[in-house]
Amino acid sequence: MKAIPFDRSVLKVNQVILMTGILTGYFVGLSHPLAAVALPVLAAMMLAAVLSPSLNVPRLLYVHALKPAGLVRPRVAVEDPAPHRFAQLVGGVFLVAASLCALTGALLAAWVLGWIVLALAFLNFAFDICVGCIVYAQLVRFGVFPLRRVSPA
Amino acid sequence: MSGLLLAPVIAIAVLLGVAAILAVQQGRQHHLVGRRVQAQAGTPTLPAILYFTGEACSICKTAQTPALRTLEESLGGRVSVREIDVAREPELARAYRVLTLPTTVVLDASGAVADINVGFAAADKLRGQLAQAGLAAAA
Repeated sequence: MKAIPFDRSVLKVNQVILMTGILTGYFVGLSHPLAAVALPVLAAMMLAAVLSPSLNVPRLLYVHALKPAGLVRPRVAVEDPAPHRFAQLVGGVFLVAASLCALTGALLAAWVLGWIVLALAFLNFAFDICVGCIVYAQLVRFGVFPLRRVSPA
Repeated sequence: MSGLLLAPVIAIAVLLGVAAILAVQQGRQHHLVGRRVQAQAGTPTLPAILYFTGEACSICKTAQTPALRTLEESLGGRVSVREIDVAREPELARAYRVLTLPTTVVLDASGAVADINVGFAAADKLRGQLAQAGLAAAA
């Protein structure tokens, strides 16, 4: 585990963008199927955030606009960001699957997957229940991820 | 379009199904109370706490470990706390059906499960459970 100061507000901003994007896309999509384009856009946002902090749109929005404007306050905790990154990766993969479903015309399956991501984002946003992090802990338990130990200072 | 209206209903149903499976799993864990798990935990001669933790568990480091240290200090050598890294001892985690970290299992002096706490358990709560498990003057 590599515990570092970690601002949970970045996650909250990410979750708000995700929930707003999916809800808007879904309700617009009821009359305009092309609104399903929201799914690949959000998938790209999630996966880019996993790849690099410089590609993390919610983080950039938070650091350069929301925090300086005082709209979102920092919530810094010392913890390992790896489970949260894994949760974002899972969300991104679900949205990629949703995008592929939309692309092949399976709009119902696409929006079911979208709503699952929305519900999980809401759980994390409102109650700090990070299902992806729980899955990560289980995968560590089963040895899927190697242990990384920090040498004592 | 009307079919799309079902999307949130199906999604919520799927999540509720997963939640139900997890609840059943947790129920199976509570069936262990009062039983002696024939696992590798050893046979304690004192009431004991099995503390299931792991590298990815941040609340373990910030809250559960300090709570157990406090408890150990206040009870001297009258309780044995065994820290179990679930990645290193998956068999033991499976035997106690550990799904969430931290999980603390209170064993009485015969090794039978007295209580199981899923998630953080405060020192006072554990002290009360140890008292019920037969540790004199723990409460």
